[in-house]
Amino acid sequence: MPNINVTLYGDIASYGAGKHIAIMDLDLPDGAVIDTLLQEISLPSTERGYLFVNAVLFDAPGLYASKDELLQNGDHIGIFSIRHMWPYQYRDGIHMSEALQIAMEESGEMKNTYRDINQPESQ
Amino acid sequence: MSKQILRINMADLSYKYEKVPKKWSKWAGRGLTSTIVAEEVEPTCHPLGPNNKLVIAPGWVSGTPAAPSSGRTSFGGKSPLTGGIKESNSGGLSSQKIAKLGLAAIIIEGTPKDEKWYTLFLNKDGVKFESADNILGKGMYQVDEIFWKKYPNEPAIIGIGPVGEKKLSNAGISINDPENKPGRYAGRGGLGAVMGARGVKALVVDDTDGPGVDIADMDLFKAGRKKLTDAIMSHDLTKPGGGLNLYGTNVLMNIINEAGGLPTRNFSAGQFEGAAKISGEMIAEMVEKRGGGMTGHGCHPGCVIKCSNIYPDEKGNDFVSCVEYESAWAFGANCGIDDLDYVAKMIRECNDLGLDTIEAGNTVAVYMDGGALEFGDKEGALSLFDEIRKMSPLGRILGQGVEATAKAFGVHRVPTVKGQSMPAYEPRAIKGIGVTYATTPMGADHTAGYTIAPEIAGVSGKVDPLTDEGKADLSLTFQAATAFIDSTGYCLFIAFPILDIETGFAGMVESVAGVMGLKADGVDAIAMGKEVLKIEREFNTRAGFTPADDRLPEFMRYEKLPPHDAVWTMPDEDLDKVYSWID
Repeated sequence: MPNINVTLYGDIASYGAGKHIAIMDLDLPDGAVIDTLLQEISLPSTERGYLFVNAVLFDAPGLYASKDELLQNGDHIGIFSIRHMWPYQYRDGIHMSEALQIAMEESGEMKNTYRDINQPESQ
Repeated sequence: MSKQILRINMADLSYKYEKVPKKWSKWAGRGLTSTIVAEEVEPTCHPLGPNNKLVIAPGWVSGTPAAPSSGRTSFGGKSPLTGGIKESNSGGLSSQKIAKLGLAAIIIEGTPKDEKWYTLFLNKDGVKFESADNILGKGMYQVDEIFWKKYPNEPAIIGIGPVGEKKLSNAGISINDPENKPGRYAGRGGLGAVMGARGVKALVVDDTDGPGVDIADMDLFKAGRKKLTDAIMSHDLTKPGGGLNLYGTNVLMNIINEAGGLPTRNFSAGQFEGAAKISGEMIAEMVEKRGGGMTGHGCHPGCVIKCSNIYPDEKGNDFVSCVEYESAWAFGANCGIDDLDYVAKMIRECNDLGLDTIEAGNTVAVYMDGGALEFGDKEGALSLFDEIRKMSPLGRILGQGVEATAKAFGVHRVPTVKGQSMPAYEPRAIKGIGVTYATTPMGADHTAGYTIAPEIAGVSGKVDPLTDEGKADLSLTFQAATAFIDSTGYCLFIAFPILDIETGFAGMVESVAGVMGLKADGVDAIAMGKEVLKIEREFNTRAGFTPADDRLPEFMRYEKLPPHDAVWTMPDEDLDKVYSWID
């Protein structure tokens, strides 16, 4: 049973009983993937922005490249709200998961967000 | 009425208005300051000598009715910190007021023969030269207060603190914010020392009954303004309640830390365990908990993004504006300090003394790295500002910035390019920014390479983030886009909505074209930006710069940066490609 450290930043901290930042240690079932974690904390995918696993970028706002990634015991996950900015020039060259690299290549990696700007923010 | 150039000669305390020469008429903001500096300043002159000039220019749309977030003022001259051309821009009250007086630029030249200090009072009737004896040695909080008491029209105050008076290389230029606090700075590059070398302690700008800004095509301007405003107001990052409005620029602290790109303890690591405690999220918590200060503060009238903040003290009183990301990083993570109150105190010291926070924080970190102070010693770090205020020998060294301090304390880990220290993005972890740090004519500068719409840049989705390939072309495009935005008067943060929302980019271009009297398709942002870069690059070449100056510091090639143990790998020949189209 992997124990995962999670930090939620921004208004999504409310899913971890925080207001601006929430830090949690969670025990997840064996074989848990990122989607398992998001369901465990009831965080809608439309409210999830950038997502990191151990200082590696696994997902971006509006992309869903990481949902099937397997989590390991001791992993640290940092999840940001969709309102967190991260200009392209400040992320050009950072470590990213393979799945996210492929997803960005397909979607145009220079964007700040990959979600439809005209769609509502939450389900 | 067409715009004019105001030329102020401090040698004989005279001034004159000049028609804007045709060759300068297409420029504003950075484009204009760099054009004037390149034409009128001998590149090999001493930055503090009589032949340097301080040029001040609002952007194209500054001072126009309701152009959103358009209050940036460009300051230009030869930099005492880098020895090259410098443009440093700021928010605050100055841009719109200068523009509304019908001025394209102010050129301050010469040195007072009597070696006295002056305050310049500028309004629609001209310039008054007044003795600055009553404010000499005073910090900018007091200076701003004195002038708003003296002049009831709430003028813009462009001034220098004690560090600028002593002409130290890390002196910035202060501009008062809407609350008349010295929170806005043209900080980078030591232009405060250039102002000090002109014998000018403060320039007070009162735009009452000024002629305003001519708009050549009002319909096009209005159409563009609406598109851009709509884009800003609908984008997640820039709309009311969006990321910038809620957490300010310090929304970046945690995200850069999670990515392993947060320079920590003088660029010796990429993650700081105390990052959350000095982040924008923590500022929001402090504002709520202490019942004072504010987030969502506008740094100039007409800003719709409002990314500034006012940090409260322990009693809930307004203490300092603004705790920007780069400032919080410089005194926080980079010095190993995780106490936001102390970070805020050091920012306030910088605002008062007239120091650039990025260079000052890096200087403290280098001083710590030299063994003179432990990383994390917040009391010791704060006390260094007493040394600067006293102008002790140590204070004078610190006031000169990172490179002087590194030499004084035997430090080899010196995070500078062209003499200017790096901001809050680690180039070993974020390789794209490293190319811009290395090659921009400005010295290591995080604002020198902002992204704009990819279809305009022509590089959408084609660059592998994990290789060095393609980064030279990309950096050039970003630098050109930034040079263009820096000339508009718009805040760089419009970059987000104009990147993600097609009509936003069109709106920016149309509003600029409307002011200039061009057709929208007559404004080629990248081409114009490249023209500015060419002017700046050629100035630096004439000043003695070579491609060898376009390099990151050596230690970044061999010191591994945790957590990814990354080193800087970009070949020099790739860096040389960025400006090969000029050299």
